[in-house]
Amino acid sequence: MSIPAASFSIPRVVKTNDPADQLATRLRADYANRITGELMVPATSGRYRPLPAALDPRLTDALHSRGIDQLYTHQAAAWESVQAAQHTVIVTPTASGKTLCYNLPVLQAALEDRAKALYLFPTKALAQDQVAELTALNETVSLGVRAFTFDGDTPGDARKAVRTRGDIVVTNPDMLHQGILPHHTKWAQFFETLRFVVIDEMHTYRGVFGSHVANVIRRLQRICRFYGSDPLFILCSATIANPAELAGELINREVFAITESGAPQGAKHLLLWNPPVVNADLGIRASARSQTTRITKLAVKNGLKSIVFAQSRLMVEVLTKYLKDAFDHDPRYPARVAAYRGGYLPTERRAMEKQLRQGQLDCVVSTSALELGVDIGALDLCVLNGYPGTIAGTWQRLGRAGRRQRTAVGVLIASSLPLDQYIIRNPDFFLGASPEQARIDPDQLLILLDHIRCAAFELPFNEGEAFGRQQLAEMLAYLEEHGIVHREGTQWHWMADSYPANNVSLRSVAEGNFVVIDTTAGAKSVIAEVDYSSAPMTIYPGAIYMIQSAPYQVERLDWEGRKAFVSRTRADYYTDAIDYTRLKILERFEEKRPAQHAVAQGEVHLVKRFVGYKKIRYYSHENVGYGKINLSDQEMHTTAVWWQLNPLALDEVFSSRQAALDGFLGAGYALHIVAAMRMLSEPGDIGRAVGDGDAKWFATLGTSGRGQLRDTSGDALDPAQLTHFTPTLFLYDNYPGGIGITAPLYESRTAIVADAKLLVSDCECARGCPSCIGPILSSDEARGYSPKQVALQLLALISHHES
Amino acid sequence: MNLKSRLARLQAQAGSEHTSPAPSNNLRSRLAKIKTIRLHRQRITPCCSMSDATLADRVHGKLIAEGVIQIKKYLPLSGQLGNVELAGLLNQPRLPGEPKVRCQRQVYIDTETTGLSGGSGTLAFLVGMAVLDENAILLSQFLITRFAAESCMLTAFAQSLTDNDRLVSYNGKSYDLPLLATRYRMHSLSHPLEQLPHVDLLHPTRRLFRRQWPDCRLTTLEKKLLGFKRRNDLPGAEAPAAWFSYIRHGQGENLIKVVTHNQHDILSLAAAHTRLSEAIEQPQRYQADCCAIARWLSETDELGARQLLARCSASLSDDAKRLQAQLARRHGDWSQATEIWRALAKRGCSESVERLAKYHEHINKDLHKAKYYCECLPVGAAQSLRLRRLNEKIDRQPIQSCVDDAISM
Repeated sequence: MSIPAASFSIPRVVKTNDPADQLATRLRADYANRITGELMVPATSGRYRPLPAALDPRLTDALHSRGIDQLYTHQAAAWESVQAAQHTVIVTPTASGKTLCYNLPVLQAALEDRAKALYLFPTKALAQDQVAELTALNETVSLGVRAFTFDGDTPGDARKAVRTRGDIVVTNPDMLHQGILPHHTKWAQFFETLRFVVIDEMHTYRGVFGSHVANVIRRLQRICRFYGSDPLFILCSATIANPAELAGELINREVFAITESGAPQGAKHLLLWNPPVVNADLGIRASARSQTTRITKLAVKNGLKSIVFAQSRLMVEVLTKYLKDAFDHDPRYPARVAAYRGGYLPTERRAMEKQLRQGQLDCVVSTSALELGVDIGALDLCVLNGYPGTIAGTWQRLGRAGRRQRTAVGVLIASSLPLDQYIIRNPDFFLGASPEQARIDPDQLLILLDHIRCAAFELPFNEGEAFGRQQLAEMLAYLEEHGIVHREGTQWHWMADSYPANNVSLRSVAEGNFVVIDTTAGAKSVIAEVDYSSAPMTIYPGAIYMIQSAPYQVERLDWEGRKAFVSRTRADYYTDAIDYTRLKILERFEEKRPAQHAVAQGEVHLVKRFVGYKKIRYYSHENVGYGKINLSDQEMHTTAVWWQLNPLALDEVFSSRQAALDGFLGAGYALHIVAAMRMLSEPGDIGRAVGDGDAKWFATLGTSGRGQLRDTSGDALDPAQLTHFTPTLFLYDNYPGGIGITAPLYESRTAIVADAKLLVSDCECARGCPSCIGPILSSDEARGYSPKQVALQLLALISHHES
Repeated sequence: MNLKSRLARLQAQAGSEHTSPAPSNNLRSRLAKIKTIRLHRQRITPCCSMSDATLADRVHGKLIAEGVIQIKKYLPLSGQLGNVELAGLLNQPRLPGEPKVRCQRQVYIDTETTGLSGGSGTLAFLVGMAVLDENAILLSQFLITRFAAESCMLTAFAQSLTDNDRLVSYNGKSYDLPLLATRYRMHSLSHPLEQLPHVDLLHPTRRLFRRQWPDCRLTTLEKKLLGFKRRNDLPGAEAPAAWFSYIRHGQGENLIKVVTHNQHDILSLAAAHTRLSEAIEQPQRYQADCCAIARWLSETDELGARQLLARCSASLSDDAKRLQAQLARRHGDWSQATEIWRALAKRGCSESVERLAKYHEHINKDLHKAKYYCECLPVGAAQSLRLRRLNEKIDRQPIQSCVDDAISM
């Protein structure tokens, strides 16, 4: 399914023989009360243009022999834009023939001038797909254009051939960063004649990863300048709100965007589905899993090819088991249901993709692994077991059904997670909203510094040269102080016995990942890596660390050596770290002070102490014990948005300081949910905290279910005893130095507060629940105390109009 | 609020743990504050800094251009290195498969670099070479004392290479030469050694001594093959730091040691060339792997390989014997081949049993013997196929000879 229509029509009752239509009709009829919203996108016919006259006749022949006699309008537009030497980004739905948009100009240039092209895909699998497609096109009419993949799997003796003989080299950003750019002299011939750089699946380059990739592109452009070339960029993306902007940020050039697809599309039904309430008192709903299996079974029985997306590898396996129990119980027949996820071998994955394309499977259950453009053929139904977290990601997955001009059905099933419940209860928000903005911050100091190191290794920097939008000379002087570069005359030279790219991971900000070592039965094997920043909350001694749903217990953590030693366990619980987070406001970049409150964004210093962990039993989710964590405090400078209230308004509205505190904590919970959704961020990119803004005290939810103040050493405080009571609610960027989340967060503060208010007020619970302001104790429920009410009062105070 | 004052205020709040000298600029202090990268500050010990002229004097070289020192040395061939007579270099050392080259037209090369990781950020700050004349080894080194001098040094080095037919190195194929190619490419200069035939002595050393020695580093070779151990040597791994500390602080003591180290490397390289070619002639004398040498020789000179194996026949390994039999067979010397196979077969070598079975079936046409050996082979599909075929052949043939040499098994 593509970009949602501007308005959504009321579905007509259609009588057709199309099984997908029939399924949608039946679901509507039988489960009307579970469907909270729906969208019907009518079929559109294709719009075509003739093949460009300038196209090389050999290329025309190759297209004819594959049955292509004309182009879709967006393909023709891409051709024209590229011929006009514009950097171009193409944003059209899955299966709209995007690859031809870049393959045509690239092949043309290869045939005419033996010009070279570099293709970047986020994963190896996509790179291999692309080379297979190019080879197929090449073989129909022998074009003599050579396309090769170049990645970690390329054997050493084949690498030279790729460098010197490849017309099109297909690789990934990590390989470009570590394997190609630092060895650019070996690629001299290639860079001298490099005409095009193709970046597919551009929408995956956002956040930290995208910020790194933008810097890798800066380095690529710098190397190209050295060899006297200036390649044109062609980018492709799934639907996001700001393709031209993201493309521009990534390649540091103006980019022309093509967003109108000319490809035909079948009709599409989308149903938003909330599982029924099974316990009205506690507001407990049936599991998303039960609904997913029910709908999928119905579809497969009716002969619909289906795909199910789940949020975790574990859920993929569970759903696959349930569906296999229904359809694959007879071993004499070939399997109809399969699971697809990361962790399988590439050959297994290729085999499964082939089975899907050839229609041998009726149903596949997948993680986000199939979200990207791997060709899996025509599917009729797509079920999302839980909200994928972003609007763009949701459309991307739903797009997996109905690739080839057939009616398709998509069902989004909400889990009990707060974000899911928000989406499902506010269908207008989801259906009417434009997809999120994808943002990057290539000038984030630490990321930029990493790539300046890599770039200095590749070529000396000259005085007056620019790299990024910070003062390059100051950055280089900083590196010189640390003995990494050396200034001589007007140049800075790399001067260290190391290979900097090996120490820079494109997927994280901090250096120094931890390795997890399995010591079960005397063994010593590395089984996982953990990001530096998430180490203190995941691999403390005593923690249960899950790998492929198998539990391991952390026995010992070697912080200096960056190692965690674990062993297999049979624990029936998982662990959840308890942290005390204190924030100190260092600097206000911007601030507004409407009557009742102040809202600001700026720089903060954060100290996080992990004091202990809870053991939580599976299924019942009851707390079965506590453990202590002994780690030194984690410090971070980052950016944040915060709200503070006029103390007079506080006293006026709330009966006590305790009530106000509860209000802050509940409102923070709701604001966090909404902000994460609005910012297209990964879970954990944003953190939240309540404190005084001066790191003197902070508040957490105590075991009593009430807000609990603690001082710097973690001892309890009574809010009523404080002379100054200025509770501050923070939403902070969870990366050292910040990754550019808070500035846009601040800009959309009014909408976020309004959304949070709606989230809480529209929630069906009486006094608060995990879907709005966080879990509350049943004793509060009994006493009639309403954390929900105080949270709403607080949100009302901070939503007052700004002057 | 502008960036500068913002950073200044941040600085003030950062507290006392930052001991960096009065940070003159703000971006830097901001970086220092948020960094999680582990950069280590170099400790600078104050000392008098050395000038290029002094350095040139100390290494007995001269400044041939700004930042380029050339060191020339003349070592008479009448001398010795360890237990190697240098005069042997004039005997035109030659390894199997190498074309004849006049030893005067051969250049020995070794470089010292700023790192071992390769890539375009590593450069050779010292390039050493040696050639021979009738009486001496002429050693020539080019050392740079600044980055800007690299291009000039590369040109000077290229010009000093005249009329060479071959270059000899130790691990140069995978290290020194690709690195030089990168440097010439970085300066848009053409690479003088690109087309030159190249003998990398690491590979023959590995062939001859991999099984005998703990490793095949040049220092190990010196100890085991040339009979000496360096004293006061600066290990090659410390070369980058030596150059860096001259560039940064003018501390040249270690850099002077690097120059000597490089001279030793080149001399050892030349001596090793001679010694390796001797070891190929007389493997036993140097405890070289005779089988490996014979296999190598057999690629170009089967007769030479057979002669070598014959010379060493007293101490051949089973592998070497199998090779000897194989060469005899290829040469049509069936009596030698079968003799070796029979001896090996008695010791349970099934490959030799199979060879014998084949020999009797196809060459000797003694099907019963062939069948006898075939029955001794490990049971399997190939064996039963062979056996069936033999039985069919025997059925089609009148009964004759009995198995006489079966007893000798």
